[in-house]
Amino acid sequence: MGVDIESPKEFKQVMDAVFTLMSEDDDMGPKLRDADVPQRFEFDDVDMVVNVRSGTEAEGVNLHWEWTDDISWEPKVKMKMSAEVAVRYFQGKENVPVAIARRRIKTGGDVKAALALIPITKPIYAQFRGLLEDRYPHLVA
Amino acid sequence: MNAAEVARRAGVTTATLRRWVKDGLVLGAPRAAGAEWPPIAIAHVRIVARLRQRGHSLQEIRRATKEGRLAFGYVEELMPPIDASFTLRQAARRSGLEPALVERIFGMLGFARPERLGEQDVVMLEQMADILDAGFPLAAFLQLMRVYGQALAQIADAEVRLFHLYVHEPLMRDGVQGLQVAEQMGELTARLLPFSSPVMDHVHRRLLHHFVEQDIVGHMEADLGAAGAELGRMRTAIAFADLAGYTQLTEQQGDEEAASIVERFVADVTHTLPDEARLVKTIGDEVMLVSSDPAALTDWAVGFQALASGRPLPRIGIHAGEVLYRDGDYYGREVNLASRVAARAAAGEVLVTREIVDIAESHQEFERLGEVKLKGFSNATELYLAVIPELG
Repeated sequence: MGVDIESPKEFKQVMDAVFTLMSEDDDMGPKLRDADVPQRFEFDDVDMVVNVRSGTEAEGVNLHWEWTDDISWEPKVKMKMSAEVAVRYFQGKENVPVAIARRRIKTGGDVKAALALIPITKPIYAQFRGLLEDRYPHLVA
Repeated sequence: MNAAEVARRAGVTTATLRRWVKDGLVLGAPRAAGAEWPPIAIAHVRIVARLRQRGHSLQEIRRATKEGRLAFGYVEELMPPIDASFTLRQAARRSGLEPALVERIFGMLGFARPERLGEQDVVMLEQMADILDAGFPLAAFLQLMRVYGQALAQIADAEVRLFHLYVHEPLMRDGVQGLQVAEQMGELTARLLPFSSPVMDHVHRRLLHHFVEQDIVGHMEADLGAAGAELGRMRTAIAFADLAGYTQLTEQQGDEEAASIVERFVADVTHTLPDEARLVKTIGDEVMLVSSDPAALTDWAVGFQALASGRPLPRIGIHAGEVLYRDGDYYGREVNLASRVAARAAAGEVLVTREIVDIAESHQEFERLGEVKLKGFSNATELYLAVIPELG
């Protein structure tokens, strides 16, 4: 089932929401921070890039992200996909190996680290779907 | 319970029991004559009696007791005793099942012919009779009993072994004395045991939910596709995946490191499998997978290989066909063929048969390798190599 993203602005709001959910989750947040895998997501159809890394103690957050490539750290894992695939991916509707095989997701860098993140981020799917059902029902996959 | 009763239950005389206590064979036994025996000591007497029956000397038993080797036996005491008030014929009559069927059910569950059965056994048989009365086919029911028996035996065996390796052995290594070992283990087990059944029940329900959903999807897709298979047979895609060079890796890095690598490999497979596929079993470093959707399984294999990095690399073989489903496992020529295809693959490769190419070539790229004679098959098999996408 396709999702109908209204605008790049809406997409950014939704992605900010998903990263906030992951960062603030009591279980997932600290695990992602400890995994310390800086990730770069490129959404080619909306021409947007977001870089995510672990938060520092001074920042007091588990995850920190910036919508630019002008960053002071090196991403360890790179993922390239469309905005629609991204929205589906965070709802658990895109299986990573299958999406790679079907060229819906392109990935690079330390793929072993990317694999290790899959079980950690799985609990986000249900939370993200809940958020979409409440606020962006047209994006539920 | 006093000494006379403890002795009677263990099948020995009171004089023998007294000698065992005097010789230090039974820890935790009360000193005063006529005193009440604690459960821990009663359990120990039964273990000593069993060991004597098996021909172990008093000296061996004394040493084992002192070192805490017999301490795990106390755990048995925490479980309710199995009463045995019914003969097989009485149990059969009350449950409404034929005695021969009761015997067969117990055999399928992995038990010997039951001479005596308890109240709980009979309640279980009554429930089974209800299931059969409701119309569940006997052939399927017996297979299910075998699966229950095998799966639960594996669980019970793992519980005992892991407890032994990670709790009992370390206590003994730390030089903790016999009675203390028993007390510490008894305390821990008493706290853990009540959680075991509810956890298993919950996990079972969650898995059931998952597989029912999968089955519905699989059925619908099968109805849309090929004609129905014979009873007990089904069309499925089968994949075997293992780690190339695993034996050499074990030689070089040792059992523990090699086992950790397999554990990570199996976890990666489990965490990344699409909803339509499932892991049937692991055999050493090999996993067997099935899927109602051959294209999804092939895509997963291609993507999984793309994500694989470092040594040892997996090798994967996939085939699809009609298989026989029995006792929770998959059998038949097509399963054997899938296994042979996997054995033919090199590190980092996904090898598939013509059946897979026909289904997946609309969106996947394959290179024809030609017809290959696979071990044990009289006819040559057409093999294809899936093209793995380059990562950026």
